[in-house]
Amino acid sequence: MEPMTWTGSLGFVLNPLLLAGGVLLLVAVVLSVLIRLVTPEPQVTVSPDGTLAVHPGLRSYTSLAVRAAGALLVATLLAYVLGGILLPWGQAGIVGAIARRFLPVWVALILTFTLSIAYSPHLGLYGRLFDSTVGKIGFGLVMFWVFTALSVGVFGWIATHDPLAAVSGLKNKPPGIPVPGVDLLGPGSHYLLGGDNLARDVFSRVVHGSWIVVQIAPIATCFAFMVGITLGLPAGYYGGRLDTAISFLANLILAFPVILLFYLLVTPEIVQTGIPSFMAAGLFIFPLVFVGVLIWSRYRTEPRRAMTMLGVILAVMGWGYLSLISQAGTPLAFMGPVDLFDVPPGVLVVFVSVVFVNSPTVFRIVRGLAMDIKTRDYVAAAQTRGERPWYIMLWEILPNARGPLIVDFCLRIGYTTILLGTLGFFGLGLPPESPDWGSTINAGRQLLAVFPHPAIVPAVALLSLVLGLNLLADGLREESLRD
Amino acid sequence: MTLHTTALRAVHPAALLYAEEAKAGLLSRREFLTRATALGVASATAYGLIGLPSPANAQDATTPVQGGTLRMNMETRATKDPRTWDWSEIANFGRGWLDYMVEYEPDGSLRPMLLESWEANEDATEWTLKVRQGVKWNNGDDFTAEDVVNNIRRWCDGTVEGNSMAARFGGLMDAATSQMREDAVEIVDPATIRLKLSEPDIAVVVNMADYPAAVVHQSYDNGDPAANPIGTGAFLPETNEVGVKQVLVRNPDHTWWGTAVYGGPYLDRIEYIDYGTDPAAVLAAAESGEVDATYQTTGDFIDIYDGLGWVKSEAVTATTLAVRFNQSQPPYDNVEVRKALQMAVDNNVVLELGYNNLGVVAENHHVCPIHPEYAELPPPVVDPAGAKAALEAAGQADTEFELISLDDSFQAATCDAVAAQIRDAGINIKRTVLPGSTFWNDWLNYPFSATQWVMRPLGVQVLNLAYKSGVAWNETAFANPEFDAALAQANSISDADQRREVMATLEKIMQDQGVLIQPYWQSLYRHTTAQVHGAEQHPIYEHHHYKWWKEAAS
Amino acid sequence: MLLFLVKRLVTMLVTAICLTIVVFALTNLPPNLEKIAKSEIGTRISDAEVTSWLDKNGFGAPLLVRYGEWLGLLPGWTRTDENGVVYGRCIREGEDPATAPIRCGVLQGEWGYSRVFRQEVADVIARGLGLTGKLMFWVLLVMVPGALLTGVLAGMREGSRTDRALSTASIVATATPEYVSGVVFIAVFTSSAVGLKWFNGSATSAMDDATLVNFTLPVLTVALYAMGYVARMTRASMAEVMTAQYIRTARLKGVSFPKIVLRHALRNALIAPFTVIMLQIPWLLNGVVIVETLFNYKGFGWTLVQAAGNNDIDLLLGVSVVSVIVVLLTQLISDVGYVFLNPRIRLA
Repeated sequence: MEPMTWTGSLGFVLNPLLLAGGVLLLVAVVLSVLIRLVTPEPQVTVSPDGTLAVHPGLRSYTSLAVRAAGALLVATLLAYVLGGILLPWGQAGIVGAIARRFLPVWVALILTFTLSIAYSPHLGLYGRLFDSTVGKIGFGLVMFWVFTALSVGVFGWIATHDPLAAVSGLKNKPPGIPVPGVDLLGPGSHYLLGGDNLARDVFSRVVHGSWIVVQIAPIATCFAFMVGITLGLPAGYYGGRLDTAISFLANLILAFPVILLFYLLVTPEIVQTGIPSFMAAGLFIFPLVFVGVLIWSRYRTEPRRAMTMLGVILAVMGWGYLSLISQAGTPLAFMGPVDLFDVPPGVLVVFVSVVFVNSPTVFRIVRGLAMDIKTRDYVAAAQTRGERPWYIMLWEILPNARGPLIVDFCLRIGYTTILLGTLGFFGLGLPPESPDWGSTINAGRQLLAVFPHPAIVPAVALLSLVLGLNLLADGLREESLRD
Repeated sequence: MTLHTTALRAVHPAALLYAEEAKAGLLSRREFLTRATALGVASATAYGLIGLPSPANAQDATTPVQGGTLRMNMETRATKDPRTWDWSEIANFGRGWLDYMVEYEPDGSLRPMLLESWEANEDATEWTLKVRQGVKWNNGDDFTAEDVVNNIRRWCDGTVEGNSMAARFGGLMDAATSQMREDAVEIVDPATIRLKLSEPDIAVVVNMADYPAAVVHQSYDNGDPAANPIGTGAFLPETNEVGVKQVLVRNPDHTWWGTAVYGGPYLDRIEYIDYGTDPAAVLAAAESGEVDATYQTTGDFIDIYDGLGWVKSEAVTATTLAVRFNQSQPPYDNVEVRKALQMAVDNNVVLELGYNNLGVVAENHHVCPIHPEYAELPPPVVDPAGAKAALEAAGQADTEFELISLDDSFQAATCDAVAAQIRDAGINIKRTVLPGSTFWNDWLNYPFSATQWVMRPLGVQVLNLAYKSGVAWNETAFANPEFDAALAQANSISDADQRREVMATLEKIMQDQGVLIQPYWQSLYRHTTAQVHGAEQHPIYEHHHYKWWKEAAS
Repeated sequence: MLLFLVKRLVTMLVTAICLTIVVFALTNLPPNLEKIAKSEIGTRISDAEVTSWLDKNGFGAPLLVRYGEWLGLLPGWTRTDENGVVYGRCIREGEDPATAPIRCGVLQGEWGYSRVFRQEVADVIARGLGLTGKLMFWVLLVMVPGALLTGVLAGMREGSRTDRALSTASIVATATPEYVSGVVFIAVFTSSAVGLKWFNGSATSAMDDATLVNFTLPVLTVALYAMGYVARMTRASMAEVMTAQYIRTARLKGVSFPKIVLRHALRNALIAPFTVIMLQIPWLLNGVVIVETLFNYKGFGWTLVQAAGNNDIDLLLGVSVVSVIVVLLTQLISDVGYVFLNPRIRLA
């Protein structure tokens, strides 16, 4: 079978268009920036009839040019995707084939955007996100990977091959290489983005990697937030000795170089002693405490209802918690047959370390916010009403601190993703054949000079996700400041 | 080349037999050279016996240039007592100022160094060694027969922790005290030493070429040899920064004995720079012009260096990666489990995926076709379905196995390929890659892991070192009385053809006991810039500094 | 002011002590000690031999006692073997036990001996710090002006196209971790595959002699990631200042725009970035570790990796102390500097 080219039969028309669009856009942007630096600001003149008139100058022409070039570029890109979906498999080249594999993601993205924009006035901060271009782009990038992860992780779509299966003869082969022994033209017939150092499909590995990254990073960040919030609120609210003590501990952890901490925690010797398991036991109890206090402080006045809710929720969470920390083969193995799941020990250690490193920063942010908000009138009002401190913290202060916290949450997921990659870079943590992006970049970087694709593809994926999270955070910040 | 009559008279009768076989095509040239020189035939004579010119005569026409600095990447490890050296790298730094009794040449022959010649009796129980005369230590002392005996005594001291030489001189040792038997070594005259072995050993002199056998002065205190570098060698250590850099400079106040005999040394300075275990870092250094030669080029990097216009040299070896089971650790104490895992792996595929086909497929018994006594057995059976069934029968169908390897690129790739094959057979397996610092701390005890074994000139040597019951480097915990008995028998047969019959038994036991998955024999490569000469890759990574030279930069 | 400084120094000391206790405890866990024993005398030794080796070499004492010895508060251990030879923590080989000091710890200036490098810890760390100092000097030289310029240009007209272009560039920079940018730089600028070969992909030769060719990429890789962050902070601060009343007044008075930016806005806008830059220095350490590993530059970060990877206790402790001091010192400088730059703040 023929190797696939990048753009197939579409390329004849679209490639020159793409090139033209790109060059035009670049020229237009550079020109417009230069002109803005050189020319004076638009002169606003007041006409005799009292209206204001702005004289269009060079500036408006350049901005028109930028828009036009941008539109051309976007249209060409769309044409690639549409061509890939509409033309028969393989006709539209690698780009088309990949676009087609991502069909479920496109559908989900279009649905999400249409619905969100349609109902945006009723959706609060989330709805306002769609007013900001930066926010939209960021949200799009993030959701692209989230939908990809769900499609591949839950339904098994998108990927064309098993991420761990090696096909003899495809080691380090370039993108679009046909798989020997497959005669039927279709998703399995080519390695769309080539083979890696062990003859595995780069495309499928990256897609499968998204499932790991999209799971670990947000969950770890969530845990870090639970810890940070549960400790940060009382520290900020009460102040005094409690604050000093917890702040000192937080600063202590922050004064540690992250990599040194990882090296100290993520070695086989330490895992053997069970320290990560004990740390997990300590850190993962915070969500339980958090939810427990949350419910109790709210429904304290209705003890029966509160007890029922607490009983049910804590029982479920407690079982999950115990299953999580109880691992066969570590000092903490007590659950036996009722153990719901076992996290692979490598993953657990990574998880614990990432939560441990992130919590103090979250703590500092929450503490600062709490100190600021506790001086507000509505807090004073609640105090006068005779509300209990924990009610004030969780139901008065926390909701009012949500803006900055959501922004930081997005940034922190990105940072955690980078951190996971760093661990992979030093060969700590996840098993080497894991398709997660950090490990894949690390494996691919050795032969980067000759076969760039096995490292570049996951690098671009990681970059786009982190970039998306950063843009999303930026958009959220911008919109939440308008409050 | 005509034969020297005196040389002919000294030739061991077995060597003449080998020469006949070699000429008849029954024996490869390489095998012949190893066997003949091991029996005390000078290598020039050995070449002559089979009617070939000695390679010295066919040497590169360019004349060596005196002077210059050569920089090579190498892991620079802490120096220690030579007999406890466990890395060729340590030895290669030590070779600057410490010489050896004999030297193993890349073509498989032995070159006399501090020993001028040697001879064995018919059954290899008595050896006569001739000590080279006129050799001086760099502190001015004469090198004498006492120095030779002193070193043999050091090697035979089995009470020293980590002395791997002791395992090679069992025939000279007193089992009770773990020391040299004083009656085993006799100084006949100032230039002659006679060894009387308690059991036949065909490898006595070959063993003196091994890298822990560096010859030290009688004043040496078993500490850091670089601290007070007294030796017979031509260089001196200048810088010794572990993990960073080691530098050898030519000793200006010392006349090296070898200059008159073999020529050289040519270089003024040799710098070993440590770039860690990542070959990408070395490549970056090579592209940046920070090194002139690589210590070793592996896998995918060979093509890359070729592309840079560097000169490749290849050494065919019996070096291998042993993906071995430790039989003292369950579930690998069950022979059926070991054999099932073996059966699931197709060594051809591992060679392709793990080592780019840069070697020869091996047969899970750690005896290489280039060893003189290699016996050919039917190739191992590959049967993934059978493997799964066998595991089920052994009650280990759902066990998750764990394969540990070093983070070195080709070792990790090979183990990944092995694991992938096992996984394809429907068996659960997990891979763990450890950095060198962690891996080597426990390499003997991992249940299932991979270790690189560099070649030894004779097939029996590795078996003696790694698979005999209870020896220091027995990482498989293999203890089989039948195997030990057969190995002892093989060690007493100096004739390789006779030994081959016993070897067949040994190889069969290795396969039947499922001792290891041994996917391939590696060829070793080194790349140098076009200016570097004489620094070709050596089958056991030995650096013969005196042969190296470098064209002046143009 | 003085009281403030004293208070901060005391906190620093307490933090350093706490951290070293943690590192000491983690590196002295039984499996780690066993690892050391095995790497010192060989891998095939029994548990009894491990214990006896540990006892002989002073590892047998309780954790806190040994910590005290390391600190120099408690007398170093001594042991007399069966031949009557006295060994001890403070007795060097060949030294007379009678004249050897009783205590030899950090307080006496003895940082111990590195098992990996076979050198005094102080020497190893000094070498690493020197090399990393060189790297950091160039990183700061590239990063600070670059980041400030980008941030000021972007922030002086919020929402303009210049702002959007530069802000996007800074976001991309912060979203690119060092291991991605370093790898891409090496591929593009050094490899024969691309063929540009402008720079070196290895900085080992830069340790002795740094040139544009061998030092550009490592410096750029570290600088880029931090640059994006600092630029964004500068932009935010600049944008805030530009909306302040006094700037508006100045503009209404008809002062020219460049003059406003340079005379009025800049000073106030640079207070926040200053603290950010100072606080960024400890974060740069992360980048330094990655870059030094990637480019094989044997500075402090590389030393840290070697020490941690090999459980070299004394070296690891030294490295932690130094990095903690760096972190706390930069915090202190940033606080003090903030006060000096901002006339509205007075420390009680």
